[in-house]
Amino acid sequence: MGDVKLEHVTKRYDDVTAVDDMNMHVRDGEFVCLVGPSGCGKSTTMEMVAGLTMPTEGDIYISGTNVTNLPPKDRGVAMVFQNIALFPHMNVYKNISFGLRLRDYDDEEIDRRVERAAEIVQLEGMLERMPDEMSGGQRQRVAIARAIVRNPEVFLMDEPLANLDAKLRVHMRTELQRLHKELDTTIIYVTHDQAEAMTMSDRIAVIDSGQLQQIDPPLTCYNEPANLFVAGFIGSPAMNFVDGRLTDAGFESKNFSVEFDPADLGLDAGTDVTLGIRPEDVYLADERESVGDPTMVIDAVTDVLEPMGDEIFVYLLLSEDAETGMDAQDSPDQLLMSVDPDSAIEEDENVDVVLDRSRVHLFDTSSGEALLHGLVAPAQAEGVTETEAESDD
Amino acid sequence: MSSESRTDGGQTTTIEDRPLKRGPFSRWVENSIKNPQRVYRSMFYVVTVFFLLTTLFPFYWLVVLAVTPPRLLSGVGLYPPGFNPESFLIVFERVPFHWFMFNSFVLGIMTTVIVLVLASLAGYVFGRLRFPGKTPLMLAILAISYFPPAAFLLPLFELFTGNVGAVIGGVYIHSPDLFNTPWPMVLPFSALFMPLSIFILTTFYGQIPDGLEDAARVEGTTRLGALFRVIVPLSAPGVATAGVLTFISVYNEFFFSFLMNNGEAENWAPIVGGILGLQGQFDTPYHLMAAASVIGVLPVAILVIIAQEKIVSGLTAGALKE
Repeated sequence: MGDVKLEHVTKRYDDVTAVDDMNMHVRDGEFVCLVGPSGCGKSTTMEMVAGLTMPTEGDIYISGTNVTNLPPKDRGVAMVFQNIALFPHMNVYKNISFGLRLRDYDDEEIDRRVERAAEIVQLEGMLERMPDEMSGGQRQRVAIARAIVRNPEVFLMDEPLANLDAKLRVHMRTELQRLHKELDTTIIYVTHDQAEAMTMSDRIAVIDSGQLQQIDPPLTCYNEPANLFVAGFIGSPAMNFVDGRLTDAGFESKNFSVEFDPADLGLDAGTDVTLGIRPEDVYLADERESVGDPTMVIDAVTDVLEPMGDEIFVYLLLSEDAETGMDAQDSPDQLLMSVDPDSAIEEDENVDVVLDRSRVHLFDTSSGEALLHGLVAPAQAEGVTETEAESDD
Repeated sequence: MSSESRTDGGQTTTIEDRPLKRGPFSRWVENSIKNPQRVYRSMFYVVTVFFLLTTLFPFYWLVVLAVTPPRLLSGVGLYPPGFNPESFLIVFERVPFHWFMFNSFVLGIMTTVIVLVLASLAGYVFGRLRFPGKTPLMLAILAISYFPPAAFLLPLFELFTGNVGAVIGGVYIHSPDLFNTPWPMVLPFSALFMPLSIFILTTFYGQIPDGLEDAARVEGTTRLGALFRVIVPLSAPGVATAGVLTFISVYNEFFFSFLMNNGEAENWAPIVGGILGLQGQFDTPYHLMAAASVIGVLPVAILVIIAQEKIVSGLTAGALKE
């Protein structure tokens, strides 16, 4: 058991800064996922915690001890690698007991611990096998057993499921959660798959360009993203972003506006802002009743439908001259909406949509920082809803 | 030549090629152009036979000499004029040949151990680390292996016989007198044969995935521990190749083996000392020297036959291994 603290940790390679002034505190027993696009520095961060890479600046503490200059073996960490990294010349028993044998445990203790670890990851009866005689999932379980057998203070997992097929990955995800519940050890988990991060972790650390963007529980990251990057990265499909301007009347963009009084929300009129709205918070105007606090109706034309079974993703074009491109959600002319699979909706059809005002996010366009989440000002919430509803009719 | 009547009454004359008269050589050339594989194959056989003759005939000749009775030595033909296997025993009576062979083995094993340990460290550095000047340094090391050993002889002889010294702190310190010990042979051998081993091991160690080394280090080894517990065992074919090649090179070495001792078995003279020691002041017993040579060749021949698969795969597979 132990907590991990990074203080002003920076890693510079010749001309690249992989990790830039990272401060993070992972509490004892916590399951934290580091997520971010590839090359964002999440693996480098983990390697620095493991001691495989030395930070250029800053200090790393594990259980209160400064381990910045300690070799990996003296840090009390165990690691599971993306490419599994079992020693191919050793059988499962020797792989799992490698660390124990190096530390001169007596044979009975090693036997006992290996048996226990094998039991936890359900590998009983396979201890004599060689790694190349096992399936991917079994090998990954050996790697996990090798990590837990030493009772490390901190578990580091660097995309341990990335090389497994989709079905096995979902299965191992559950097993890892069960393992965390059972062992109650601090786990730092690197992944680029935000679904893994959302489902498993106590807190998610979103990293981009070597900088920590936000570290919060999964739902907080989802509902109250700290900035444009987190908002766009967490959630699939990604949040819609519409660039616009804050005026005295509210938010105005090329194709639609959302009315509110910026002063009530503590915002300054005249700034460039980006409105963010998740696809599931866009509704057809017919369903307005079910939305607590809808905006005015926005005219749109459906472009492409993507039926997913449990929902349909609808790509909406907001203006005649809309450019259809790859970055649909980044264009001010397009909006992605998620609707009920029973909805009678066709391609190239005129539809009216509304946004759920309580789920609208506003970001400062230039800095990317979140300005507010939900357009409901505490005092005026009711009034705004009513005037809004009237003006829509 | 044939003629046909045309409808307009004229004649059309066709001239057909007469088959050229060709001799056997022209036919052979024609065949070769059509089917070059045949030529390549015959070339292969020619070269192979030539190579086998030049390498195996001297050895055959040694065997012939070894079994020739001494009195018939002046009239040896392509086959032995008599049969006298006694020479193989007399060799051990005239000189302690087993002792010379033992010396050779010890020198070979000492050098192999030194080379493998040091070349493993160097191979780790060259194969797995990044640092400025890596390529020039590697080239410099390889260049050393091409230096003629004779170039080192005089300075090394002076050094190892205690004739080199310097005044350090007012005291004249001279180099240790190592003549007639294993060291003046083992040290130059190690230096001269190391580059090839470094090269082989660099290739092998460079191909072990980083993840395995990282895993070993997280599990509790140092970098050195990871090298000897994980990287070396996984590179076993490469290590075996480097070891066998080094051992054979030392075993076959003549120059330092001959000059760095006085030729006595108790003074660490290897096999070459034993063979030359058979030569008396008044006679040159070619049959005994030949028999000693045959005996000396056998261990290496056996080693090569046992290890040849590994050596070949080690030398070639290194570059291709996944």
